[in-house]
Amino acid sequence: MKHTTRLMNIVQRSLDGPIIEEEDFNNKNVSQGLARVVAKYEIKVEKDRIVNLDDDLADRVWDAAVDFLASCGVYCQNTGRVILHSREEIETILKKAPDNVWIGAGTDAIHEVVRGVEDPRRPLLMGSAIGTAIEEEFYIPAAISYIQEPEVDVTMVPTLDKIYGYDIRTRSPLEIMSAWREAELALEALRRAGRPGMAFTGLGSSISDVGQLSADGPGGLRNTDLHTFGIISELKTNFEILNKLTHILYRDGIIDPYANPIYGGLGGGMEGQAVLITAAMIALNVVFMATCVGSSPTHPFNFNDTGREVMIPSSLSWQALARNSHLLTNLTITAVGGPGTKTLLYECVAFTVMSTVSGGSRLLGPRSATGSITGHFSGLEARFTGELLGAASKLNREQAEEIVQKAYAKYKDDLTKKPYGKHFKDVYDLKTLRPTPEWMKMYEEVKNEVAGWGLSFD
Amino acid sequence: MTISYDVLEKAITDGDIQTGVTESLKMVDSGTKPLEIFSDCIEPVLADVGDRFSRLEIFLPEMICSAEVVKAIQEALKPYLEADQTSTSKGKIVIATVSGDLHDIGKNIVKAMLEVNGFEIKDLGVDVSPQTAVRSAKDFNADIIALSALMLPSIPFVKDVIDFVEADTDVRERFKVIVGGGPVSEEWADEAGADGYGDNAIEAVAIVRRLMGV
Repeated sequence: MKHTTRLMNIVQRSLDGPIIEEEDFNNKNVSQGLARVVAKYEIKVEKDRIVNLDDDLADRVWDAAVDFLASCGVYCQNTGRVILHSREEIETILKKAPDNVWIGAGTDAIHEVVRGVEDPRRPLLMGSAIGTAIEEEFYIPAAISYIQEPEVDVTMVPTLDKIYGYDIRTRSPLEIMSAWREAELALEALRRAGRPGMAFTGLGSSISDVGQLSADGPGGLRNTDLHTFGIISELKTNFEILNKLTHILYRDGIIDPYANPIYGGLGGGMEGQAVLITAAMIALNVVFMATCVGSSPTHPFNFNDTGREVMIPSSLSWQALARNSHLLTNLTITAVGGPGTKTLLYECVAFTVMSTVSGGSRLLGPRSATGSITGHFSGLEARFTGELLGAASKLNREQAEEIVQKAYAKYKDDLTKKPYGKHFKDVYDLKTLRPTPEWMKMYEEVKNEVAGWGLSFD
Repeated sequence: MTISYDVLEKAITDGDIQTGVTESLKMVDSGTKPLEIFSDCIEPVLADVGDRFSRLEIFLPEMICSAEVVKAIQEALKPYLEADQTSTSKGKIVIATVSGDLHDIGKNIVKAMLEVNGFEIKDLGVDVSPQTAVRSAKDFNADIIALSALMLPSIPFVKDVIDFVEADTDVRERFKVIVGGGPVSEEWADEAGADGYGDNAIEAVAIVRRLMGV
């Protein structure tokens, strides 16, 4: 096991850090703390521009985030205490953060490296619906629809909607059974697609520590896979989360956690949200010892991250991280549109271009139909996203902004209409595992259209 | 004589508890009926706060601050309201995120939206067992149990609450159960026997209003 001392240090801070009521942590440490640094560092975004062009602003967001995190800390719900690190400690730990990692095994392993703003290297793609549920009968075909795509570098398999006909119930035997079943099906899908060593993330069918960790070991999630867990919004943890971290460390696994700040929530508007996202990514490394840090900042009513008000702080935050750290960062496209809609494809264009020029090292998704509609996802949108990653890597931020604005104009009015599209079985031929002609035609039309906007797919 | 509510309106909008309480007490002392203060000033101002949040012109911290001012005013005017045998509450709701689920921001947004729309809320927090939800609703004498589940393996606990309420004929007459959260759909809510489903906080307020007939 690595980093025993560091883990003990974090656990110790959760046991003897400052005591505070959770509501006071929300209001004073988070909300008021963010308001303080937004004013102190004069964080002000241009509301008409989605892709940030202001390097000085990005650097101020970074300074604000470190200042904020050093005063706010991370709240441990079990102990009612704050896990605090000073600014100096944060900066020291970040210097030792990984700037590259091999993910997967054998010839299917890929190398994730830190990227900068306008970096010409293509980010990696975790082609996946990011834990969206599907019926078991469609599970393997749906998973293969992603794994078979050459543009997909790593994956996260779907979650099961039921286990042997029963609802999956957390902290029960049914959850442990679902975790094992998910691992079995994932490994089978990888094998059938001819990419057995490709890394997958898991285990989304289970959420508790006992459920998730039960199938993290021999016969289940491998140490070359990505081991994920989410922290609680905003900047909170508990022993279940720290138990997951401890187990992953003993497994020598790749630690790939995420934090999804909610726009309009405790962070307030776009300025507070930019600082909060940045601080949360720093906390994932400093407190949760992440190898890679990830986010899908969330809209409070549409549950996506492809709206202007979420993409603006995401771009700013990702540039702050890329310019001031060597953290391996990943964003998730959480789209409102589902398969069989052009809305989904335009959302992929805007978000992929924004995140690529802003310095992300890996992109996750697309989580079609906000990940909340059973079976509404397919591999074709991942293929398109992978192609977009290559094309977007050739752009500078001004060019990217123009394309993002064009794509955004195409779908902005659809976001509240929630065009969730079709089920996987209705957009793919289940025998050939190819997209239906109708879905393929839609993809080709949008791809040709955006090629005319300056995206080169050569 | 026309009453000016400018100071009180500003105090609620700005989240200024001290000014809000002082001004409302001053108005009562000068003869304005407490219920009139609520119907003519506080309710429309809070409705506007809720509307502005639903358009994301203001955010959760501002909405919570406004709700806190009104809670303090309600507390300060309680003796007067009791003397008049009147209430400002439009209904009582217990709200919770169910077992195994630790997401609280979405629930807190719904809670704040309901508060600024005049409902009395008891927040049970996150990871709440079905038994605790039903027991707390009885203790609070609630009209509605509002449940949130953002994770698929937590949904069965929502159904448990509905089943517990259904199984108890006494509380079945008293409680309505409304549900929401990422993996919960209207179709699921109908099948489970919920009394209402809200996709988001705006819809939750509309459903509660409909169920309470306000």
